[in-house]
Amino acid sequence: MSNNLRVKSSEYIDETTSVSFKFNGKTYHGYKGDTLASALLANNVHLVGRSFKYHRPRGIMTSGSEEPNAIVQVGTDSAMTEPNVRATEIEIYDGLEATSQNCWPSVDFDIGGINNLLSPFLPAGFYYKTFMWPASFWEKYEYFIRHSAGLGKSPTKPDTDIYDHKHIHCDVLVIGAGISGIIAAKTAAKNNLKTLLLEEKTQIGGSTIYQNSENFKIDNKNSSEWLANEINELKKLDNLEIKTRTSVAAYHGYNYLLARENLTDHLSPSEKKDKIRQRLLKIRAKKVIVATGSLERPLIFNNNDRPGIMLSSAVKKYADHYGVICGKKNVFFTNNDSAYESAISLHKKGIQVQAIIDIRENSKSAIVNEAINLGIKIYWSHTVVDTYGYKKLHKISLMELSNDGQSTIGSKINIDCDCLGVSGGWTPAVHLFTQSGGKLKFRDEDEVFIPNIYPSKQISIGSCNGDFTLNEIIKNSSNSLKEFLEIENTEYENLNIVNSIETDKRNIWLLPSDKVIGKTKPFVDYQNDATAKDIKLALREGFRSIEHVKRYTTTGMGTDQGKLGNMHALGIIADTAGVKMGELGTTTFRPPYTPLTFGTIVGRNVGEYFDIFRRTPMNNWHVNNNAEFENVGQWKRAWYYPINNETMDEAVQRESLAARTSAGILDASTLGKIDIQGSDASEFLNRVYTNAWSKLGIGKCRYGLMLNEDGMVYDDGVTTRLSENHYIMTTTTGGAANVLGKLEDYLQTEWPELDVYLTSVTDHFATASICGPNSKKILNKLIPELDLSDENFPHMSFKETSIGKIKCRVMRISFTGEHSYEINVQANYGESLWEQCMEAGKEFNITPYGTETMHLLRAEKGFIIVGQDTDGTMTPIDLQMDWIVSKKKYDFIGKRSLYRSDTIREDRKQLVGLITENPKEVLEEGAQIVLDLNKKPVEMLGHVTSSYYSPNLKKSIALAVVRGGKKMMGQKLFIPMEDRTINVTIVDPVFLDKENQRLNA
Amino acid sequence: MFLINCPFCGERDQSEFKAGGEAHIERPKQPTELSDDQWAEYLFMRKNIKGVQFERWNHAHGCRKWFNMVRDTSNDEIKLIYKMGEKPPTE
Amino acid sequence: MLNYKSSIIEDKKYSGLSIKEISPIMKLNLRGKSRDFLSTIGKNINMILPIEANTSSSSDKYTSMWLSPDEWMIISNNIIDKENNNYEIEELLFNKISKTNLGSVTDVSDQFVLINLEGESVFDILSSGCAFNFNEFMQKKGAVTQTLLAQVDIIIHHKEINNINLFVRRSFSEHLMSWINDAASRL
Repeated sequence: MSNNLRVKSSEYIDETTSVSFKFNGKTYHGYKGDTLASALLANNVHLVGRSFKYHRPRGIMTSGSEEPNAIVQVGTDSAMTEPNVRATEIEIYDGLEATSQNCWPSVDFDIGGINNLLSPFLPAGFYYKTFMWPASFWEKYEYFIRHSAGLGKSPTKPDTDIYDHKHIHCDVLVIGAGISGIIAAKTAAKNNLKTLLLEEKTQIGGSTIYQNSENFKIDNKNSSEWLANEINELKKLDNLEIKTRTSVAAYHGYNYLLARENLTDHLSPSEKKDKIRQRLLKIRAKKVIVATGSLERPLIFNNNDRPGIMLSSAVKKYADHYGVICGKKNVFFTNNDSAYESAISLHKKGIQVQAIIDIRENSKSAIVNEAINLGIKIYWSHTVVDTYGYKKLHKISLMELSNDGQSTIGSKINIDCDCLGVSGGWTPAVHLFTQSGGKLKFRDEDEVFIPNIYPSKQISIGSCNGDFTLNEIIKNSSNSLKEFLEIENTEYENLNIVNSIETDKRNIWLLPSDKVIGKTKPFVDYQNDATAKDIKLALREGFRSIEHVKRYTTTGMGTDQGKLGNMHALGIIADTAGVKMGELGTTTFRPPYTPLTFGTIVGRNVGEYFDIFRRTPMNNWHVNNNAEFENVGQWKRAWYYPINNETMDEAVQRESLAARTSAGILDASTLGKIDIQGSDASEFLNRVYTNAWSKLGIGKCRYGLMLNEDGMVYDDGVTTRLSENHYIMTTTTGGAANVLGKLEDYLQTEWPELDVYLTSVTDHFATASICGPNSKKILNKLIPELDLSDENFPHMSFKETSIGKIKCRVMRISFTGEHSYEINVQANYGESLWEQCMEAGKEFNITPYGTETMHLLRAEKGFIIVGQDTDGTMTPIDLQMDWIVSKKKYDFIGKRSLYRSDTIREDRKQLVGLITENPKEVLEEGAQIVLDLNKKPVEMLGHVTSSYYSPNLKKSIALAVVRGGKKMMGQKLFIPMEDRTINVTIVDPVFLDKENQRLNA
Repeated sequence: MFLINCPFCGERDQSEFKAGGEAHIERPKQPTELSDDQWAEYLFMRKNIKGVQFERWNHAHGCRKWFNMVRDTSNDEIKLIYKMGEKPPTE
Repeated sequence: MLNYKSSIIEDKKYSGLSIKEISPIMKLNLRGKSRDFLSTIGKNINMILPIEANTSSSSDKYTSMWLSPDEWMIISNNIIDKENNNYEIEELLFNKISKTNLGSVTDVSDQFVLINLEGESVFDILSSGCAFNFNEFMQKKGAVTQTLLAQVDIIIHHKEINNINLFVRRSFSEHLMSWINDAASRL
C-alpha cells in the first residue's frame, strides 16, 4: 500500500482495520471507512473508467452522489453483479470486487479509445442521423453500438438479496444532515415534533464537520468543533430518528417522499448474509425541511476531463475527511473563494500547492488574503487553456483572459501538476424541491436557481436555498425555522459567527482557449461525453427548447442526471442564443435523485408475494386430491382433477360425462354473495336487474342479468328471496367486489331514499354444488330430514336446514342443466361438508369436477359466462336473452341504452352456436369468423368465445359472436387458421336438452 | 400520492380510495322520456379540464362511503371535500 | 355432523411478536341509520354502539367496532361453541332489527378470520405494508381502523397496548398470514 498518500489519521477512517478489495482484478488495501474512491486514490489509482462515446480515460471527479465518471460494476458473479455503482458512494469491505464499467478489454488499453481519434465524426445527434436509415437496419446498429458503448452489465439471475419497504409518518422530515439540516432537526425535535433526519452519506455533519479553517468560527469555536457539539446533543433527543446512508429518491405531492435506506452494502458478504439489503422508506411528513446543500460546479475548458482533474471540494474532502491526498503537485482553478479553502488546507498539511488560477481580476476576502500570506502563487484573470496527460494529468497550460472573458491574450504558461482542483461556484441542490412541484427563480448576481414558490408545507434552508456563507446559513435557517415551525425562538439567533466573505465574482460558462472551439474538447456532461461544441451545434441546427437540446445532445441524460454540468449547458445556450438564463428555465428534475435498484422498488412483492391469492375453505381437499389449479381473478380454483396422468382433455371428458350420467361436485365457494336487507330490497333488485323481482315468492330463486348504464351486460347470477325483505344475491367470481361497489354507489348517490343494506358474505359461506341424475339421492343421504320432492323443493327454490347442529342453506339451482343443488354452510365447516358429500356420493361414483368441466357443461346448455362470452360490448339482446329483459318495468340500470340507435342495429355482433363440419375438430377460442374468403381485405364477422368437445353430444360445440348472427341460423361460415380453413355452421346456442327435462329428472 | 381527508374516517393515504369520475351528474329520473342525444349527454359526456374540477371519490378500503372532492388538476391541490347530497360550492 | 376447521392452524412466535388465530368467534355485521336502530341494539345487547369514527365499545360479552357511519361489527369476546352455529344474539337482533326494518343484521363469523398480534414489534410489521398512520392509533386503546395491509383489506382493533386483533376476509387469510410471517422473520 502506498501509504505516502495518507496524510493524517482521520477520525472517520479506522486505520487499525485494513480492508482488502479488488479493482479490475488487482488487490488493493484501504481502511475501514474508506469509499472505493478514497481507497483507490490512496493507492494512487485515478484512472477508473472510460468515457461513454469517445472512450477517453476518466478519473474520480467528485466525492459524492454527483459523480459522473467513477461508475463501477460491483461483484464478479454474473448472476449477482450490479452495474452503475458510484465508487464515491460505495464503502469498501473485505471481499469487495469492482471493475471499470465502460472499457474493453481493459481500462488501460481500451479499443474504443479509437473513437476519440474519430471524434470529429461523432458530433451530437450522430447516432440519430446515421442509424435512422434504413429503418430495418436499426437492430444490427443497436447491437454494435451497445457493445461499443459498453454500458454496465445486468445480472443474469434473480436477485437473491432481501429488500423491504417501510411506511413512516412524521411531523417533520429533514433531508440532509449538513449544518443547516442539523440545526433544523434539533430545533424541530426540541419543540416536541416527531422528527426524521435523513443523510445520504455515512456520517452526518456535511462539509462543516471537517472544516478546519480558522476563517470560520461560531461562538469562538472552530465551526467543526461547534457542529460536533451540536451533533452530540442532537443524538440525545428522544423524538428524533436519524438515518444515514439514506438517500431521498423522490419528493411527490402531499409531502409523500421515497427514500432508499442502505443497510448492508458496506458490510462484508458474511456480515450481510440474511439481512435486508435496502429498504424503501415511504415517508409522509406533515412538514418537510429540505437541506440538501449544494453541488460544486466544475469549469468548462479544453480537455477538462483528464484523470487528476477533480472538483476542488472533493480534493479537500479526500484530504480532510479521508486523509488521502489526490496529488503531490496540486493546482486549483477557480472563479470563487472556495478553492482557496482547499488550497490552504492542503498547504497546511505540507502538501505542495503550485498555484491557484483564478478567472477573477481580484478578490480581497479574508481567505484569499490568507492564501496570499501563505505564499501561494495566484494567477488572477487567467484560465486553463489545455491539459496534458492521457491517463493521468501531468501538466496544464494557462493564459490570461481578455477583459470580456471571451478570448485569451498573452503567451502560454505551463505548470507541472498531477491534480487540478476546479471550482466553478456552487449550484443549490434544488432537485427534490422541483420534483415536489416547486417553482424556481433565477438569482442573477451569482447565477443560481433557488426555490421561489413552495407547493406544499416545506422550506429549503442552507445552501440549497442559495445561502452560501456560514453566517447566512445559520441566521436565515434560524429565521425560516421560527416561521415554518411556528415557534418563538431558536438557539441559533444570537450566535457570534465569523466567516470570510467573498468580495468579487466572475463567471464564464465556457472558458476560451487559444484554439477555436471546433478544435477543443470542453466537456459539459462527462458521463455522456457531451461537449460545449455539441450544444452549440444543436443550437445551430435550430434546436431552441432546453428540453430538445438535452435530448439531442444527451446532456444530463446519464445516470448522474447531469448534476455537474446542467447549469453550464443552460449558460452556454443562453450565451449563444443571446437570452437570459432566467428566461430559459431548466430541464425537468425527475425522480429518482440517484439511481435505485429494482429490488428496492419492488421490496418483498416478489415470488409468492407478487400477487395476492385467495383460497376456498375446501382448498386442502383439492390439493390432496391432485387438482390442477386455475387463477380466476385472485382465486386459486380447482381446474380439473387428473387421475393416473390424464391430460386436461381426458380429465374433462371423464368429469363431464360423470356429471351428466351420475353425479358431479363442484366447489362454487368463489361466487360472490351479497346479503340484501331492508324494506326496499325488492324495489332495489327491480332497479338493478333487467327482470322483475317484486313477485318472486319467498324461498324462491331467480336468475338475474345486470347491465351497465350503457346497456352492456355487467354481471349475472342467481338471487334468492330468504324472507319478505331479505335476499341473498350471487355474483360472478370475478365481479363480486365490483358489483358490491357499484350497488353501494347507486344506494349512496342516486337512490339514498331506498331502505336497503348490503353486506358481503362471500367468504362467510362455503358452497358445494352437486349435480347430475343422482344428486337428489346424495342430498337425501346427507340431509335425510329434508323433503326433496318436486312439490316441496322444486327447481329454483331454497330451503334453510341444518346438517347436525350446523345451519345450512340449500338452493336447487343449476348452471349445468342437470338436476342440482347448491349447499352453503359457514366456511369453517366447508371442508367437512365437501368430505361428507363425497362420502354420501361414493356409491354413485360422485366425481369432483373443476372449472374447465363446469365451462363445458354450461356451454352444452348455451349458458353464457360474463367476461368470456361477453366483453363489455354485448347487450342482452345481442346475447339472444331478450326473455330476461322486462318490458313492463319503467326503468332499470341500462334500460334506456337498450334502444339507442347503436344498440338496436341489426348488424351488431350476436351470440350464436357453431358446429364444425368435422365433429371431431375443436375450434380455437378467439378464432376469427369469415363469410367470404375471397373478399379483400378479408372481412371478419366475429370470433369464437367458447369451444369444447362435448362427450355428451359426441361432437365439437362452440359459442361465438357473429355480426347479424341471429338471422343467420344455418349459415355456413369459415374459420381460416394458419394451415387450413375450418367449415362451420351457425346453430342455436343451446346444444343440449332444449326442453329442460334433465333439470327435473 | 394524495392524502385524502375522508369526511367520515379522517386523513388517509390515497391507496385506500377509488376515484369515481365527475361529480354532480345526476341520473335522469325519467330516462325513457329522453332522446338519444339527451341520454348520451348523461351517459358519455364528461369534463376533463386543467384546473378546478368536481370529482366523486370512494373510501373503498375504509368506510366504503362516497363523497365529493374539488380538486385542481393542474397542481393536484384538493380544495374541498364534502359529503354526498351536499350542495357544491358556488365559487 | 360437520367438523369445524379454521383457516390458520399454526401459532407463531418471533422475538417481539406472537401471532395466533382466535376461533371460533361470533361476528355480526350491523347496519342502520336511525335513532331507533341504535337504541334497539343498545337495549338488547346492553352496550351502546360507538358513533365516533374509528372507535369501539366493549361489554363483558361483546365488543363493537365502528366501521362506517351506518355500519358496525360486533364480536364475541370469548370463544364460542364449535358444534353449533345458532347464536342467540344473532337471532335476537335479527328479529328486533332486520324483521322490523330498522336495519340489517348479518352473520359474518366466517367472513373474517381474527388474527391476534401481540408484542412490541406489532406496529413495525404493520408499517412494512400499510400506509396508515399508526402514530396516534398505537397510543389509543380501543381504536379501530379499516385499511390495507399488503394490499389486502383489513380491520384492526387495538385491544391492548401492543396487542391488536386483525380481521381479514377468510379467503385472503392464508396469503396474509404467510406475508406477516415473512415480514416477522426479518424483524
